[in-house]
Amino acid sequence: MIHQFYAGLAPWLALSLLLLGRNPHPSRKRITGSLLLALVLLRIPVMDWSSYAWIRDVEANPSFILTALLAVALCRRVGGPSLFGPCDWKAAWIFGSAAALVLYPMGLGLTRFDSYELGWLPALPVATALIASTLLLGGNRFGIVLLLPLAGFFLHLQESRNFWDALVDPIYSGISLIVVLVTVFRKRTAPSQTPQCA
Amino acid sequence: MPHPARLTLIAVAWLLCVLVICAEKHPFTAVPPSYQNPVPATKVNATRDSPFYKEEFINYAQHIQMAHVASLAELPDGSLAAVWYGGSYEYWPDVNIYFASQTNGVWSVEHSIMTVERAEHDLGRPVKCPGNAILLANPDGTLRLLFITIAMGKWSGSELNTCLSHDGGLSWSPVSRLTLSPLFNFSELVRNRPILLATPQPGADPFWCVPIYQELIGKFPELLWLTVNHGEVIAQKSRIAGGCSTLQPSLVPLDSRRAVVLLRDYTADKKIFIARTPDAGLTWSKPVPTNLPNPDSGVSGLRLSDGRLLVAFNNSTLGREKLSLALSRDEGKSWKVIVKLDNDPDSYSSYPFLLRTSDGMIHVAYTYTSNAIKMVTFNEAWITDQEAKSQNP
Repeated sequence: MIHQFYAGLAPWLALSLLLLGRNPHPSRKRITGSLLLALVLLRIPVMDWSSYAWIRDVEANPSFILTALLAVALCRRVGGPSLFGPCDWKAAWIFGSAAALVLYPMGLGLTRFDSYELGWLPALPVATALIASTLLLGGNRFGIVLLLPLAGFFLHLQESRNFWDALVDPIYSGISLIVVLVTVFRKRTAPSQTPQCA
Repeated sequence: MPHPARLTLIAVAWLLCVLVICAEKHPFTAVPPSYQNPVPATKVNATRDSPFYKEEFINYAQHIQMAHVASLAELPDGSLAAVWYGGSYEYWPDVNIYFASQTNGVWSVEHSIMTVERAEHDLGRPVKCPGNAILLANPDGTLRLLFITIAMGKWSGSELNTCLSHDGGLSWSPVSRLTLSPLFNFSELVRNRPILLATPQPGADPFWCVPIYQELIGKFPELLWLTVNHGEVIAQKSRIAGGCSTLQPSLVPLDSRRAVVLLRDYTADKKIFIARTPDAGLTWSKPVPTNLPNPDSGVSGLRLSDGRLLVAFNNSTLGREKLSLALSRDEGKSWKVIVKLDNDPDSYSSYPFLLRTSDGMIHVAYTYTSNAIKMVTFNEAWITDQEAKSQNP
Protein backbone atom coordinates (compact mmCIF):
# COMPACT_ATOMS: atom_id res chain seq x y z
CA MET A 1 0.00 0.00 0.00
CA ILE A 2 2.83 2.39 0.93
CA HIS A 3 4.50 1.57 -2.41
CA GLN A 4 1.35 2.50 -4.31
CA PHE A 5 0.96 5.75 -2.37
CA TYR A 6 4.57 6.76 -2.94
CA ALA A 7 4.45 5.83 -6.63
CA GLY A 8 1.45 8.17 -7.03
CA LEU A 9 3.26 11.24 -5.68
CA ALA A 10 5.42 11.94 -8.73
CA PRO A 11 2.55 11.69 -11.28
CA TRP A 12 0.39 13.90 -9.08
CA LEU A 13 3.11 16.56 -8.73
CA ALA A 14 3.92 16.44 -12.45
CA LEU A 15 0.28 16.70 -13.47
CA SER A 16 -0.30 19.58 -11.03
CA LEU A 17 2.64 21.46 -12.56
CA LEU A 18 1.21 20.93 -16.04
CA LEU A 19 -2.24 22.12 -15.00
CA LEU A 20 -0.84 25.26 -13.40
CA GLY A 21 0.36 26.29 -16.84
CA ARG A 22 2.80 29.08 -17.54
CA ASN A 23 1.01 31.78 -15.52
CA PRO A 24 3.80 33.21 -13.28
CA HIS A 25 1.40 34.23 -10.50
CA PRO A 26 -1.44 31.70 -10.24
CA SER A 27 -4.25 32.55 -7.85
CA ARG A 28 -4.84 30.49 -4.70
CA LYS A 29 -8.04 29.22 -6.34
CA ARG A 30 -6.15 28.06 -9.40
CA ILE A 31 -3.50 26.36 -7.30
CA THR A 32 -6.05 24.45 -5.23
CA GLY A 33 -8.05 23.61 -8.34
CA SER A 34 -4.97 22.30 -10.16
CA LEU A 35 -3.89 20.12 -7.25
CA LEU A 36 -7.39 18.65 -6.90
CA LEU A 37 -7.94 18.26 -10.63
CA ALA A 38 -4.64 16.37 -10.89
CA LEU A 39 -5.93 13.95 -8.27
CA VAL A 40 -9.20 13.53 -10.16
CA LEU A 41 -7.42 12.99 -13.48
CA LEU A 42 -5.30 10.24 -11.96
CA ARG A 43 -8.52 8.50 -10.90
CA ILE A 44 -10.15 8.61 -14.35
CA PRO A 45 -10.83 5.05 -15.49
CA VAL A 46 -9.22 3.97 -18.75
CA MET A 47 -10.05 0.45 -19.92
CA ASP A 48 -11.16 -0.75 -16.45
CA TRP A 49 -8.15 0.77 -14.68
CA SER A 50 -7.48 4.26 -13.33
CA SER A 51 -5.06 6.35 -15.34
CA TYR A 52 -2.75 6.18 -12.30
CA ALA A 53 -2.72 2.37 -12.52
CA TRP A 54 -1.60 2.65 -16.16
CA ILE A 55 1.14 5.11 -15.20
CA ARG A 56 2.23 2.77 -12.41
CA ASP A 57 2.16 -0.12 -14.85
CA VAL A 58 4.95 1.63 -16.75
CA GLU A 59 6.85 3.27 -13.89
CA ALA A 60 6.22 1.70 -10.50
CA ASN A 61 9.37 3.12 -8.94
CA PRO A 62 9.73 6.85 -9.57
CA SER A 63 13.05 7.87 -8.05
CA PHE A 64 13.09 9.91 -4.87
CA ILE A 65 15.13 12.55 -6.68
CA LEU A 66 12.48 12.95 -9.40
CA THR A 67 9.77 13.27 -6.77
CA ALA A 68 11.83 15.80 -4.81
CA LEU A 69 12.65 17.88 -7.90
CA LEU A 70 8.97 17.96 -8.87
CA ALA A 71 8.10 19.06 -5.33
CA VAL A 72 10.76 21.82 -5.47
CA ALA A 73 9.45 22.99 -8.85
CA LEU A 74 5.84 22.95 -7.66
CA CYS A 75 6.75 24.82 -4.48
CA ARG A 76 8.28 27.59 -6.55
CA ARG A 77 5.39 27.51 -9.03
CA VAL A 78 2.74 28.10 -6.35
CA GLY A 79 4.61 31.10 -4.95
CA GLY A 80 6.47 29.32 -2.18
CA PRO A 81 10.13 29.86 -1.37
CA SER A 82 12.62 29.26 -4.15
CA LEU A 83 14.34 26.22 -2.69
CA PHE A 84 16.75 25.68 -5.58
CA GLY A 85 19.08 28.14 -7.24
CA PRO A 86 20.61 27.70 -10.71
CA CYS A 87 23.62 25.86 -9.29
CA ASP A 88 21.40 23.41 -7.42
CA TRP A 89 19.46 22.64 -10.60
CA LYS A 90 22.68 22.32 -12.53
CA ALA A 91 23.94 19.75 -10.00
CA ALA A 92 20.62 17.85 -10.30
CA TRP A 93 20.86 17.63 -14.09
CA ILE A 94 24.54 16.68 -14.10
CA PHE A 95 23.92 13.99 -11.49
CA GLY A 96 20.90 12.63 -13.42
CA SER A 97 22.71 12.52 -16.74
CA ALA A 98 25.88 11.02 -15.26
CA ALA A 99 23.88 8.33 -13.45
CA ALA A 100 21.93 7.63 -16.64
CA LEU A 101 25.13 7.18 -18.63
CA VAL A 102 26.52 4.80 -16.02
CA LEU A 103 23.32 2.84 -15.52
CA TYR A 104 21.35 2.42 -18.72
CA PRO A 105 23.82 1.47 -21.46
CA MET A 106 25.44 -1.17 -19.23
CA GLY A 107 22.23 -2.16 -17.48
CA LEU A 108 20.55 -2.84 -20.79
CA GLY A 109 23.29 -5.10 -22.09
CA LEU A 110 25.87 -2.98 -23.88
CA THR A 111 28.68 -4.59 -21.89
CA ARG A 112 29.32 -7.81 -20.00
CA PHE A 113 29.32 -5.80 -16.77
CA ASP A 114 25.87 -4.95 -15.43
CA SER A 115 25.97 -1.67 -13.50
CA TYR A 116 22.43 -2.36 -12.20
CA GLU A 117 23.96 -5.09 -9.97
CA LEU A 118 25.72 -2.32 -8.00
CA GLY A 119 22.32 -1.29 -6.69
CA TRP A 120 22.16 -4.45 -4.58
CA LEU A 121 25.56 -3.76 -3.02
CA PRO A 122 26.58 -1.28 -0.29
CA ALA A 123 28.80 0.66 -2.71
CA LEU A 124 26.01 2.76 -4.17
CA PRO A 125 24.60 4.15 -0.87
CA VAL A 126 28.18 4.96 0.17
CA ALA A 127 28.82 6.76 -3.13
CA THR A 128 25.56 8.67 -2.68
CA ALA A 129 26.50 9.76 0.85
CA LEU A 130 29.91 10.82 -0.44
CA ILE A 131 28.45 12.94 -3.27
CA ALA A 132 25.85 14.39 -0.89
CA SER A 133 28.59 15.33 1.58
CA THR A 134 30.68 16.99 -1.11
CA LEU A 135 27.72 18.99 -2.38
CA LEU A 136 26.66 19.99 1.14
CA LEU A 137 30.17 21.16 1.98
CA GLY A 138 30.02 23.36 -1.12
CA GLY A 139 26.62 24.69 -0.08
CA ASN A 140 24.74 23.02 -2.93
CA ARG A 141 21.17 22.19 -1.96
CA PHE A 142 20.98 19.22 -4.29
CA GLY A 143 23.01 17.55 -1.55
CA ILE A 144 19.92 17.71 0.67
CA VAL A 145 17.84 16.06 -2.08
CA LEU A 146 20.39 13.25 -2.18
CA LEU A 147 19.50 12.40 1.41
CA LEU A 148 15.99 11.44 0.27
CA PRO A 149 16.96 8.26 -1.66
CA LEU A 150 18.82 7.08 1.44
CA ALA A 151 15.87 7.83 3.71
CA GLY A 152 13.21 6.52 1.30
CA PHE A 153 15.13 3.33 0.61
CA PHE A 154 15.60 2.73 4.32
CA LEU A 155 11.86 3.20 4.87
CA HIS A 156 10.99 0.77 2.01
CA LEU A 157 8.80 3.35 0.27
CA GLN A 158 9.51 1.80 -3.14
CA GLU A 159 8.62 -1.63 -4.48
CA SER A 160 12.19 -2.03 -5.76
CA ARG A 161 14.99 -3.13 -3.46
CA ASN A 162 17.67 -1.92 -5.87
CA PHE A 163 19.25 1.38 -4.81
CA TRP A 164 19.57 2.57 -8.41
CA ASP A 165 15.77 2.83 -8.52
CA ALA A 166 15.89 5.11 -5.48
CA LEU A 167 18.36 7.39 -7.26
CA VAL A 168 17.25 7.53 -10.89
CA ASP A 169 14.47 6.51 -13.20
CA PRO A 170 14.15 6.77 -16.97
CA ILE A 171 12.10 9.98 -16.75
CA TYR A 172 14.53 11.90 -14.53
CA SER A 173 17.45 10.51 -16.51
CA GLY A 174 15.91 11.44 -19.85
CA ILE A 175 15.12 15.01 -18.77
CA SER A 176 18.61 15.39 -17.27
CA LEU A 177 20.30 14.24 -20.45
CA ILE A 178 18.21 16.59 -22.58
CA VAL A 179 18.91 19.58 -20.29
CA VAL A 180 22.65 18.86 -20.19
CA LEU A 181 22.85 18.36 -23.96
CA VAL A 182 20.90 21.54 -24.66
CA THR A 183 23.08 23.50 -22.20
CA VAL A 184 26.29 22.18 -23.74
CA PHE A 185 25.00 22.94 -27.25
CA ARG A 186 24.02 26.48 -26.26
CA LYS A 187 27.37 27.10 -24.61
CA ARG A 188 29.19 25.96 -27.72
CA THR A 189 27.12 28.12 -30.04
CA ALA A 190 26.88 31.20 -27.81
CA PRO A 191 29.08 31.37 -24.70
CA SER A 192 26.91 32.88 -21.98
CA GLN A 193 27.50 34.46 -18.63
CA THR A 194 26.10 31.66 -16.48
CA PRO A 195 26.87 32.00 -12.76
CA GLN A 196 29.88 30.12 -11.48
CA CYS A 197 28.80 27.37 -9.08
CA ALA A 198 30.76 26.44 -6.04
CA MET B 1 34.78 26.60 8.18
CA PRO B 2 31.62 24.73 7.14
CA HIS B 3 28.29 25.92 8.46
CA PRO B 4 27.07 23.80 11.45
CA ALA B 5 23.80 23.02 9.61
CA ARG B 6 25.77 21.58 6.70
CA LEU B 7 27.80 19.42 9.05
CA THR B 8 24.59 18.16 10.62
CA LEU B 9 23.22 17.26 7.19
CA ILE B 10 26.44 15.46 6.30
CA ALA B 11 26.19 13.50 9.53
CA VAL B 12 22.58 12.64 8.63
CA ALA B 13 23.71 11.45 5.18
CA TRP B 14 26.24 9.05 6.64
CA LEU B 15 23.87 7.89 9.36
CA LEU B 16 21.26 7.06 6.70
CA CYS B 17 23.92 5.35 4.62
CA VAL B 18 24.88 3.13 7.56
CA LEU B 19 21.21 2.39 8.29
CA VAL B 20 20.56 1.41 4.65
CA ILE B 21 23.58 -0.90 4.54
CA CYS B 22 22.79 -2.53 7.89
CA ALA B 23 19.07 -2.94 7.20
CA GLU B 24 19.50 -4.32 3.69
CA LYS B 25 19.97 -8.06 3.43
CA HIS B 26 22.81 -9.29 1.26
CA PRO B 27 22.40 -13.08 1.46
CA PHE B 28 24.07 -13.75 -1.86
CA THR B 29 27.35 -12.05 -1.00
CA ALA B 30 27.55 -13.53 2.52
CA VAL B 31 29.04 -16.82 1.32
CA PRO B 32 30.36 -17.89 -2.08
CA PRO B 33 27.68 -19.86 -3.93
CA SER B 34 28.06 -23.55 -4.62
CA TYR B 35 25.79 -26.04 -6.33
CA GLN B 36 24.24 -28.95 -4.52
CA ASN B 37 25.24 -32.37 -5.82
CA PRO B 38 24.56 -31.90 -9.56
CA VAL B 39 23.48 -35.52 -9.96
CA PRO B 40 21.12 -36.67 -7.18
CA ALA B 41 21.55 -40.01 -5.42
CA THR B 42 20.13 -42.60 -7.71
CA LYS B 43 19.72 -46.31 -8.00
CA VAL B 44 20.37 -46.21 -11.73
CA ASN B 45 23.31 -48.02 -13.26
CA ALA B 46 23.69 -47.00 -16.86
CA THR B 47 25.36 -50.24 -17.89
CA ARG B 48 23.38 -52.72 -15.78
CA ASP B 49 19.82 -51.40 -16.15
CA SER B 50 17.78 -52.28 -19.19
CA PRO B 51 16.90 -49.40 -21.48
CA PHE B 52 13.62 -47.67 -20.66
CA TYR B 53 11.75 -45.27 -22.94
CA LYS B 54 8.22 -43.90 -22.73
CA GLU B 55 6.23 -41.17 -24.51
CA GLU B 56 3.09 -39.52 -23.19
CA PHE B 57 1.09 -36.31 -23.38
CA ILE B 58 0.81 -34.21 -20.26
CA ASN B 59 -2.19 -32.18 -21.42
CA TYR B 60 -3.91 -35.13 -23.11
CA ALA B 61 -7.38 -33.86 -22.21
CA GLN B 62 -6.82 -30.21 -23.03
CA HIS B 63 -8.63 -28.76 -26.02
CA ILE B 64 -6.69 -25.65 -26.70
CA GLN B 65 -5.25 -23.85 -29.72
CA MET B 66 -1.84 -23.18 -28.24
CA ALA B 67 0.15 -24.78 -25.40
CA HIS B 68 3.77 -23.80 -25.03
CA VAL B 69 6.90 -23.61 -22.84
CA ALA B 70 6.42 -26.56 -20.50
CA SER B 71 8.58 -26.99 -17.44
CA LEU B 72 8.84 -29.78 -14.89
CA ALA B 73 9.74 -30.15 -11.23
CA GLU B 74 10.13 -33.12 -8.95
CA LEU B 75 8.17 -32.76 -5.72
CA PRO B 76 9.65 -33.99 -2.44
CA ASP B 77 7.47 -37.14 -2.56
CA GLY B 78 9.00 -38.07 -5.92
CA SER B 79 5.99 -37.13 -8.03
CA LEU B 80 6.29 -34.81 -11.02
CA ALA B 81 4.64 -31.44 -11.56
CA ALA B 82 4.40 -29.54 -14.82
CA VAL B 83 3.41 -26.01 -15.80
CA TRP B 84 2.92 -24.44 -19.20
CA TYR B 85 0.97 -21.58 -20.70
CA GLY B 86 -1.87 -21.97 -23.13
CA GLY B 87 -4.68 -20.10 -24.81
CA SER B 88 -5.73 -18.92 -28.25
CA TYR B 89 -2.34 -17.51 -29.10
CA GLU B 90 0.70 -15.85 -27.56
CA TYR B 91 -0.12 -12.46 -26.01
CA TRP B 92 -3.87 -13.10 -26.04
CA PRO B 93 -5.75 -12.25 -22.86
CA ASP B 94 -7.19 -15.77 -22.62
CA VAL B 95 -3.72 -17.21 -22.00
CA ASN B 96 -3.55 -19.05 -18.66
CA ILE B 97 -0.76 -20.87 -16.86
CA TYR B 98 -1.76 -24.51 -16.40
CA PHE B 99 -0.58 -26.98 -13.79
CA ALA B 100 -0.69 -30.78 -13.73
CA SER B 101 0.94 -33.37 -11.49
CA GLN B 102 1.85 -36.98 -12.05
CA THR B 103 1.23 -39.57 -9.38
CA ASN B 104 2.02 -43.25 -9.92
CA GLY B 105 2.73 -42.53 -13.56
CA VAL B 106 -0.64 -40.91 -14.29
CA TRP B 107 -0.99 -37.22 -15.09
CA SER B 108 -3.83 -35.32 -13.43
CA VAL B 109 -6.13 -33.25 -15.59
CA GLU B 110 -4.54 -29.81 -15.81
CA HIS B 111 -6.01 -26.84 -13.99
CA SER B 112 -5.44 -23.15 -14.48
CA ILE B 113 -3.32 -21.55 -11.77
CA MET B 114 -2.79 -18.11 -13.28
CA THR B 115 -5.07 -15.93 -15.33
CA VAL B 116 -4.94 -12.29 -16.38
CA GLU B 117 -7.61 -11.50 -13.79
CA ARG B 118 -5.75 -13.25 -10.98
CA ALA B 119 -2.44 -11.55 -11.84
CA GLU B 120 -4.12 -8.13 -12.14
CA HIS B 121 -5.92 -8.60 -8.83
CA ASP B 122 -2.78 -9.57 -6.92
CA LEU B 123 -0.44 -7.09 -8.58
CA GLY B 124 -2.91 -4.19 -8.57
CA ARG B 125 -2.00 -3.17 -12.10
CA PRO B 126 -3.06 -3.98 -15.67
CA VAL B 127 -1.65 -7.18 -17.15
CA LYS B 128 -1.85 -8.11 -20.83
CA CYS B 129 -1.28 -11.83 -20.33
CA PRO B 130 0.86 -14.34 -18.44
CA GLY B 131 3.57 -16.36 -20.19
CA ASN B 132 6.60 -18.58 -19.52
CA ALA B 133 6.53 -20.24 -16.11
CA ILE B 134 8.78 -22.57 -14.12
CA LEU B 135 8.41 -24.37 -10.81
CA LEU B 136 10.89 -24.31 -7.94
CA ALA B 137 10.35 -27.33 -5.67
CA ASN B 138 11.65 -26.23 -2.27
CA PRO B 139 13.09 -28.91 0.02
CA ASP B 140 10.42 -28.07 2.64
CA GLY B 141 7.68 -29.26 0.27
CA THR B 142 6.47 -25.86 -0.85
CA LEU B 143 6.33 -25.09 -4.53
CA ARG B 144 7.31 -21.69 -5.92
CA LEU B 145 5.95 -20.53 -9.27
CA LEU B 146 8.12 -18.08 -11.17
CA PHE B 147 6.35 -16.68 -14.20
CA ILE B 148 6.23 -13.73 -16.50
CA THR B 149 3.44 -11.30 -17.12
CA ILE B 150 3.45 -8.99 -20.09
CA ALA B 151 2.66 -5.45 -19.02
CA MET B 152 2.50 -4.11 -22.57
CA GLY B 153 3.79 -4.89 -26.03
CA LYS B 154 5.23 -8.35 -26.58
CA TRP B 155 7.90 -10.38 -24.80
CA SER B 156 10.09 -7.31 -24.34
CA GLY B 157 7.39 -5.94 -22.03
CA SER B 158 7.67 -8.89 -19.65
CA GLU B 159 8.15 -8.79 -15.92
CA LEU B 160 8.93 -11.63 -13.53
CA ASN B 161 6.55 -12.54 -10.73
CA THR B 162 6.36 -15.21 -8.08
CA CYS B 163 3.90 -16.94 -5.77
CA LEU B 164 4.03 -19.94 -3.43
CA SER B 165 1.95 -23.07 -2.93
CA HIS B 166 1.85 -25.01 0.33
CA ASP B 167 -0.44 -27.75 -1.00
CA GLY B 168 1.36 -29.15 -4.01
CA GLY B 169 0.02 -26.65 -6.53
CA LEU B 170 -3.68 -26.62 -5.64
CA SER B 171 -3.72 -23.09 -4.23
CA TRP B 172 -1.24 -20.24 -4.50
CA SER B 173 -0.28 -17.24 -2.38
CA PRO B 174 -0.76 -13.70 -3.73
CA VAL B 175 1.55 -12.83 -6.59
CA SER B 176 4.42 -10.44 -6.03
CA ARG B 177 6.49 -8.74 -8.72
CA LEU B 178 10.28 -8.85 -8.84
CA THR B 179 12.08 -5.64 -9.80
CA LEU B 180 15.10 -6.66 -11.87
CA SER B 181 15.57 -4.19 -14.70
CA PRO B 182 16.43 -0.46 -14.65
CA LEU B 183 14.25 0.53 -17.60
CA PHE B 184 10.67 0.38 -16.27
CA ASN B 185 11.49 -3.16 -15.03
CA PHE B 186 10.77 -4.46 -18.53
CA SER B 187 11.98 -7.57 -20.25
CA GLU B 188 13.05 -10.18 -17.75
CA LEU B 189 12.05 -13.67 -18.82
CA VAL B 190 12.45 -17.19 -17.48
CA ARG B 191 12.33 -20.53 -19.25
CA ASN B 192 14.85 -23.13 -18.11
CA ARG B 193 15.44 -25.36 -15.13
CA PRO B 194 16.38 -23.69 -11.81
CA ILE B 195 19.32 -25.00 -9.80
CA LEU B 196 19.23 -25.37 -6.03
CA LEU B 197 22.30 -23.96 -4.32
CA ALA B 198 23.90 -25.26 -1.15
CA THR B 199 22.68 -23.21 1.81
CA PRO B 200 25.07 -21.64 4.35
CA GLN B 201 23.64 -23.83 7.11
CA PRO B 202 21.30 -26.84 7.13
CA GLY B 203 17.62 -25.97 7.29
CA ALA B 204 18.15 -22.43 6.01
CA ASP B 205 15.81 -20.99 3.41
CA PRO B 206 16.62 -22.43 -0.01
CA PHE B 207 18.90 -20.50 -2.33
CA TRP B 208 18.02 -20.82 -6.01
CA CYS B 209 19.99 -19.93 -9.08
CA VAL B 210 17.56 -19.47 -11.96
CA PRO B 211 18.71 -18.90 -15.55
CA ILE B 212 16.83 -15.91 -16.95
CA TYR B 213 17.30 -13.62 -19.93
CA GLN B 214 16.54 -10.16 -21.21
CA GLU B 215 15.26 -9.26 -24.64
CA LEU B 216 14.48 -5.58 -24.75
CA ILE B 217 17.21 -3.69 -26.60
CA GLY B 218 19.78 -6.48 -26.37
CA LYS B 219 19.17 -10.19 -25.98
CA PHE B 220 21.44 -11.74 -23.39
CA PRO B 221 21.53 -14.37 -20.62
CA GLU B 222 21.47 -13.67 -16.91
CA LEU B 223 21.15 -15.50 -13.60
CA LEU B 224 18.48 -14.78 -11.02
CA TRP B 225 19.53 -15.41 -7.41
CA LEU B 226 16.46 -16.06 -5.33
CA THR B 227 15.89 -16.77 -1.66
CA VAL B 228 13.43 -15.96 1.10
CA ASN B 229 14.24 -14.14 4.32
CA HIS B 230 11.51 -14.09 6.99
CA GLY B 231 8.87 -14.51 4.30
CA GLU B 232 10.27 -11.76 2.07
CA VAL B 233 11.42 -12.86 -1.37
CA ILE B 234 14.92 -11.55 -2.08
CA ALA B 235 15.82 -11.51 -5.75
CA GLN B 236 18.98 -10.24 -7.41
CA LYS B 237 20.51 -10.97 -10.76
CA SER B 238 23.89 -11.14 -12.43
CA ARG B 239 24.94 -11.24 -16.04
CA ILE B 240 26.35 -14.14 -18.03
CA ALA B 241 26.98 -12.20 -21.25
CA GLY B 242 25.90 -8.92 -22.76
CA GLY B 243 25.07 -7.75 -26.25
CA CYS B 244 22.45 -9.02 -28.60
CA SER B 245 23.60 -12.53 -29.25
CA THR B 246 22.31 -15.33 -27.06
CA LEU B 247 19.40 -15.97 -24.74
CA GLN B 248 17.45 -18.61 -22.80
CA PRO B 249 20.40 -20.06 -20.86
CA SER B 250 20.26 -23.65 -19.65
CA LEU B 251 22.47 -23.99 -16.59
CA VAL B 252 24.28 -27.31 -16.15
CA PRO B 253 26.42 -27.71 -13.01
CA LEU B 254 29.47 -29.92 -13.51
CA ASP B 255 30.46 -30.05 -9.84
CA SER B 256 29.87 -27.88 -6.80
CA ARG B 257 31.55 -24.83 -8.38
CA ARG B 258 31.95 -25.33 -12.12
CA ALA B 259 29.08 -25.14 -14.57
CA VAL B 260 28.28 -24.49 -18.21
CA VAL B 261 25.35 -22.70 -19.79
CA LEU B 262 23.96 -23.75 -23.14
CA LEU B 263 22.50 -20.83 -25.03
CA ARG B 264 19.95 -20.28 -27.74
CA ASP B 265 21.52 -18.40 -30.62
CA TYR B 266 20.25 -15.09 -31.91
CA THR B 267 23.11 -14.48 -34.33
CA ALA B 268 23.70 -15.53 -37.91
CA ASP B 269 25.89 -18.41 -36.67
CA LYS B 270 22.82 -20.57 -35.98
CA LYS B 271 24.75 -22.63 -33.41
CA ILE B 272 24.14 -23.52 -29.80
CA PHE B 273 26.54 -21.41 -27.73
CA ILE B 274 28.28 -22.44 -24.52
CA ALA B 275 29.86 -20.45 -21.67
CA ARG B 276 31.64 -21.67 -18.53
CA THR B 277 31.93 -20.57 -14.92
CA PRO B 278 34.60 -21.67 -12.43
CA ASP B 279 32.87 -20.09 -9.42
CA ALA B 280 29.20 -21.15 -9.46
CA GLY B 281 28.07 -18.33 -11.71
CA LEU B 282 29.96 -15.33 -10.33
CA THR B 283 32.11 -15.01 -13.45
CA TRP B 284 31.62 -16.42 -16.95
CA SER B 285 33.74 -17.06 -20.00
CA LYS B 286 32.73 -15.51 -23.31
CA PRO B 287 30.08 -17.67 -25.02
CA VAL B 288 31.46 -19.64 -27.96
CA PRO B 289 29.58 -21.65 -30.59
CA THR B 290 29.41 -25.44 -30.33
CA ASN B 291 29.17 -27.82 -33.26
CA LEU B 292 25.39 -28.18 -32.75
CA PRO B 293 22.94 -26.19 -34.91
CA ASN B 294 20.30 -23.89 -33.49
CA PRO B 295 17.43 -22.35 -35.44
CA ASP B 296 16.86 -19.60 -32.81
CA SER B 297 14.99 -22.04 -30.56
CA GLY B 298 15.20 -23.16 -26.93
CA VAL B 299 17.70 -25.75 -25.70
CA SER B 300 17.95 -27.68 -22.45
CA GLY B 301 20.87 -29.57 -20.96
CA LEU B 302 21.83 -31.67 -17.95
CA ARG B 303 24.70 -33.76 -16.63
CA LEU B 304 24.45 -37.55 -16.48
CA SER B 305 25.75 -39.64 -13.58
CA ASP B 306 29.00 -40.49 -15.41
CA GLY B 307 29.80 -36.88 -16.29
CA ARG B 308 28.50 -36.91 -19.87
CA LEU B 309 26.38 -33.90 -20.79
CA LEU B 310 23.04 -34.33 -22.50
CA VAL B 311 21.29 -31.64 -24.52
CA ALA B 312 17.83 -31.58 -26.10
CA PHE B 313 17.65 -29.25 -29.10
CA ASN B 314 16.28 -28.74 -32.61
CA ASN B 315 18.82 -30.33 -34.92
CA SER B 316 18.25 -27.84 -37.72
CA THR B 317 19.18 -24.36 -38.81
CA LEU B 318 15.90 -23.87 -40.63
CA GLY B 319 13.11 -24.22 -38.09
CA ARG B 320 11.82 -25.81 -34.93
CA GLU B 321 11.95 -29.36 -36.20
CA LYS B 322 13.94 -32.55 -35.60
CA LEU B 323 13.95 -32.38 -31.82
CA SER B 324 17.02 -34.42 -30.93
CA LEU B 325 19.38 -35.42 -28.15
CA ALA B 326 23.14 -34.97 -28.25
CA LEU B 327 25.88 -36.09 -25.87
CA SER B 328 29.21 -34.58 -24.90
CA ARG B 329 31.98 -36.58 -23.24
CA ASP B 330 34.28 -33.57 -22.78
CA GLU B 331 32.13 -31.17 -20.77
CA GLY B 332 30.63 -29.50 -23.80
CA LYS B 333 33.68 -29.03 -26.02
CA SER B 334 32.30 -31.40 -28.68
CA TRP B 335 28.88 -32.93 -29.16
CA LYS B 336 27.48 -35.92 -30.97
CA VAL B 337 23.85 -36.25 -31.96
CA ILE B 338 22.54 -39.63 -30.75
CA VAL B 339 18.82 -39.73 -31.49
CA LYS B 340 15.90 -37.81 -32.93
CA LEU B 341 13.04 -37.70 -30.45
CA ASP B 342 10.23 -37.01 -32.87
CA ASN B 343 10.28 -38.86 -36.15
CA ASP B 344 7.13 -37.28 -37.52
CA PRO B 345 8.43 -35.06 -40.37
CA ASP B 346 5.47 -32.72 -40.03
CA SER B 347 5.70 -32.29 -36.30
CA TYR B 348 6.68 -29.00 -34.73
CA SER B 349 8.62 -29.92 -31.60
CA SER B 350 10.39 -27.26 -29.63
CA TYR B 351 11.23 -25.74 -26.29
CA PRO B 352 12.52 -28.89 -24.57
CA PHE B 353 12.84 -28.93 -20.78
CA LEU B 354 15.11 -31.63 -19.35
CA LEU B 355 14.75 -32.87 -15.79
CA ARG B 356 16.47 -35.73 -14.03
CA THR B 357 14.47 -37.12 -11.12
CA SER B 358 15.85 -38.84 -8.02
CA ASP B 359 14.89 -42.27 -9.40
CA GLY B 360 17.42 -41.70 -12.18
CA MET B 361 14.84 -41.19 -14.91
CA ILE B 362 15.32 -38.35 -17.37
CA HIS B 363 12.26 -36.48 -18.59
CA VAL B 364 11.97 -34.16 -21.57
CA ALA B 365 8.83 -32.06 -21.75
CA TYR B 366 8.31 -30.07 -24.94
CA THR B 367 5.83 -28.33 -27.17
CA TYR B 368 4.43 -30.71 -29.77
CA THR B 369 2.51 -29.41 -32.82
CA SER B 370 1.89 -26.10 -31.04
CA ASN B 371 -1.03 -27.23 -28.86
CA ALA B 372 0.21 -30.29 -26.99
CA ILE B 373 2.72 -30.76 -24.22
CA LYS B 374 4.50 -34.05 -24.74
CA MET B 375 6.86 -35.77 -22.33
CA VAL B 376 9.44 -38.40 -23.12
CA THR B 377 10.94 -40.39 -20.23
CA PHE B 378 14.04 -42.56 -20.49
CA ASN B 379 16.95 -43.77 -18.41
CA GLU B 380 20.70 -43.58 -18.84
CA ALA B 381 20.80 -47.14 -20.15
CA TRP B 382 18.58 -46.04 -23.05
CA ILE B 383 20.91 -43.11 -23.74
CA THR B 384 23.91 -45.45 -23.76
CA ASP B 385 21.98 -47.76 -26.07
CA GLN B 386 21.12 -44.89 -28.45
CA GLU B 387 24.72 -43.68 -28.39
CA ALA B 388 25.92 -47.14 -29.39
CA LYS B 389 23.32 -47.29 -32.17
CA SER B 390 24.35 -43.88 -33.48
CA GLN B 391 27.97 -45.06 -33.67
CA ASN B 392 26.98 -48.32 -35.42
CA PRO B 393 23.85 -47.48 -37.37
